[in-house]
Amino acid sequence: MVEQSLEFCNIVKSFPGVKALKGISFRAEGGRICALMGENGAGKSTLLKILSGDIQPDEGCLKINGEEHHFLSPHQSIKSSVSVIYQERQLVPSLSVMENIFLEDMPVGKLGFINMTELRSKTQEILDTFGLPIAPTDTVGWLSVAYQQMVEIMKAYRRDSNIIAFDEPTAPLTDKEITILFSLIKKLKEKGKVILYVSHRMAEIFQISDDIVVLKDGSLVKTLLTSQTNEGELVKAMVGRDIGDTYANLKRNDKIGDVLLEVNNLVTDYVDNVSFKLHKGEVLGFAGLIGAGRTEVMRAIFGADPIRSGEIRLEGKPVRFKSPSEAVASGIALCPEDRKEQGLVLKRSITDNVSIPVLSKVKKGLFLSRKTENDMAMNAVRKYSIKTPSADKQVMQLSGGNQQKVILGRWTSEKMATKILILDEPTKGIDVGTKAEVYQMVCDFAKQGIGVIFISSELTEVLNVCDNIIVMHNRHITGMLTREEATEELVLQLAMKD
Amino acid sequence: MEKSNRLKKILASKEFSLFILLVIVVAFYGVASPNGSFLKTRNIRSILDSMTIYTLFAVGGGLVIISGKIDLSPSYVGAVCGVLLAKLLDQGLPWYLVVPICLAVGAAFGLLNAVLINEFNIQSFIATLTTGTFIAQGLVYLIPAGVTYQIKDPVVIWYSTGKIFGFIPITMVISILIIVIFGIVLAKTKFGRSVYLIGGNANAARLAGLKPKKLSYIIFAYSGALGALAGMLYAGRLKSGSLVGTVSYGFPAVTAAILGGISLGGGTGNMLGCFLGLLIINSFNNGLMLMGLKPYWQTVASGVLLLIALTIDYFSTRERKIKLTGSI
Repeated sequence: MVEQSLEFCNIVKSFPGVKALKGISFRAEGGRICALMGENGAGKSTLLKILSGDIQPDEGCLKINGEEHHFLSPHQSIKSSVSVIYQERQLVPSLSVMENIFLEDMPVGKLGFINMTELRSKTQEILDTFGLPIAPTDTVGWLSVAYQQMVEIMKAYRRDSNIIAFDEPTAPLTDKEITILFSLIKKLKEKGKVILYVSHRMAEIFQISDDIVVLKDGSLVKTLLTSQTNEGELVKAMVGRDIGDTYANLKRNDKIGDVLLEVNNLVTDYVDNVSFKLHKGEVLGFAGLIGAGRTEVMRAIFGADPIRSGEIRLEGKPVRFKSPSEAVASGIALCPEDRKEQGLVLKRSITDNVSIPVLSKVKKGLFLSRKTENDMAMNAVRKYSIKTPSADKQVMQLSGGNQQKVILGRWTSEKMATKILILDEPTKGIDVGTKAEVYQMVCDFAKQGIGVIFISSELTEVLNVCDNIIVMHNRHITGMLTREEATEELVLQLAMKD
Repeated sequence: MEKSNRLKKILASKEFSLFILLVIVVAFYGVASPNGSFLKTRNIRSILDSMTIYTLFAVGGGLVIISGKIDLSPSYVGAVCGVLLAKLLDQGLPWYLVVPICLAVGAAFGLLNAVLINEFNIQSFIATLTTGTFIAQGLVYLIPAGVTYQIKDPVVIWYSTGKIFGFIPITMVISILIIVIFGIVLAKTKFGRSVYLIGGNANAARLAGLKPKKLSYIIFAYSGALGALAGMLYAGRLKSGSLVGTVSYGFPAVTAAILGGISLGGGTGNMLGCFLGLLIINSFNNGLMLMGLKPYWQTVASGVLLLIALTIDYFSTRERKIKLTGSI
């Protein structure tokens, strides 16, 4: 087999107002996994888009096996044996697995009709290679996110691409699914393919990659051999400074107060018999695998999903919210996991997004007071150092971390008077530096007497940020640990306990 | 510093480019129309007068579009309310009962749409198309049952055809008042802001404490009632309940709203843009008529104008999107 290689040669790319890539050059070898790391805005996604032919560089070129390429379209890139698997899956949800895998290359019979038998058997072959329990005829839209991701990978495999790039593939996956994914990626590696791997998760990078390329602000900062580096060095290269031990430097709240929220035997369509207590100034973690029912518990408390039975007490008084607006009026705030779909109105300004829950309180007579609203928004911008020229900027134009801060700003304004703040995966897709900021914010909220519920699938952050940790598995609470007694092993055991 | 910023903002706004487009249209016809007849006072008044019915539909339609849905039924609802007005008046009911009844019927159609959309999860396009083209259209024939009722009520005829100072049509005043009121409501009130927010992302708005369902009922009720108002003014002008009624007015009105920057995606646009869109389309058509173009060519020309506007819109939003990907 020919030795495969991919080389980026002095890639420069500007967008109006930003120089996204300032001359990136590096080489990735076949049979090795090359991790691309960097904070949000470092240029990883832009680089992948250039590789996939989605956008064109202003200068520079790609070399595949030494041969120069200029991709003008995704079509050309695919033809040159490149597959880029994006975070947003590029599948047709209404079609079957086999139709998606063979999307642009379906086996056609003499009359021009698609040969379904062949399509099915070819797909089954691929499914068997990967050992996946799905059928070629399953509709992709009905599969779990993880399997959709697998379909995407099988598409790349079917094309027999020599260069495969993954953009944060594990973000939607559970631990078990990640194991399957990694074994797939390793198979591809053994076949001598060039693999690029983008991820924010440190542990993963050390588990799977051979080389690490670190980008910062559009430039290449460092190329490292995974076996010869450590997390500290890597973070330092990414952030450009030593951020020290994020967790050790946290200034926590040490005064936990009275019971704020009490949930007894809560049952909904998605969770069974859930009971717990949240105190003033407490950071209560919810750990567990994806799909364990953590989000669903919160949605029920918040009035977003109907409750079948059980009791909820807020400051001792029984409550049952029929809609989120009632929950908000009682001082409960929810920052959903899917910021873009459920958290923000992307088309509107920072100001508009911050003032939503308190519109009635920014009225002057009949009309809204733009000035009051603006002051509120600017307060949030200053307090959380949101990077933006003004509060009028569309939220769409902010980075993920700054978007998260806008939501936090919404719920922690003076007018809101939040008692309970529910954070669902607040650091998902956020870079290391901002993550540390978010942790400190969480502790600050607790110091103000807010009860914080912190849902996260990243074990280290739950273990280090929360005062107490509740673990869920399969719709139930399987245990509760204090920070002192919790360890990764214990939490994992509970998270998988039957 | 702040002043120059504000000026920059105005110059970059969509409303400003619409204004320029309007100026171009007006200037062109001012020069090109025979004897400069386009700019004569009488003609300008006739343009504004022809806008009346369109304006009412555009306000209701625009409101619904900003909220992220679409309402195709108001022009049919207007037709129903036109014949209903004529029939009820003919049967001797006084105008001060008939007018509120018709408005309520219009609002009821809106509520029916809202039920179909919110409770049965039918897409607004299909739901309102069905209530409009089938239910309302059917009622237009059923209500008069073959009779053409004349409108003789002096009050109805007065407000439908009368002129203030013998010059400004009352209907024009009504429609301008409506668009101004809704413009202010959208820009300045909690209800207006909520319309934008649920149009931008209903799910996020709900989780942030708004009530998208309740709002949707109100919005559709307004749209239906505005349709009824348009239908009644139209019937009053004709002094009879017409079977065709306002049916042909709905689509051009929505077109004007879209031209005016109320994007079908929801969450953006405003009534000033909508008004400019109406002015542009009506001036454009009026000019074509003055220049002797056949009516069907006018229709084709309006289509081309809309396509041009949509293309410009596409390119300006695309530029924004590119910036966006750049910052990721």
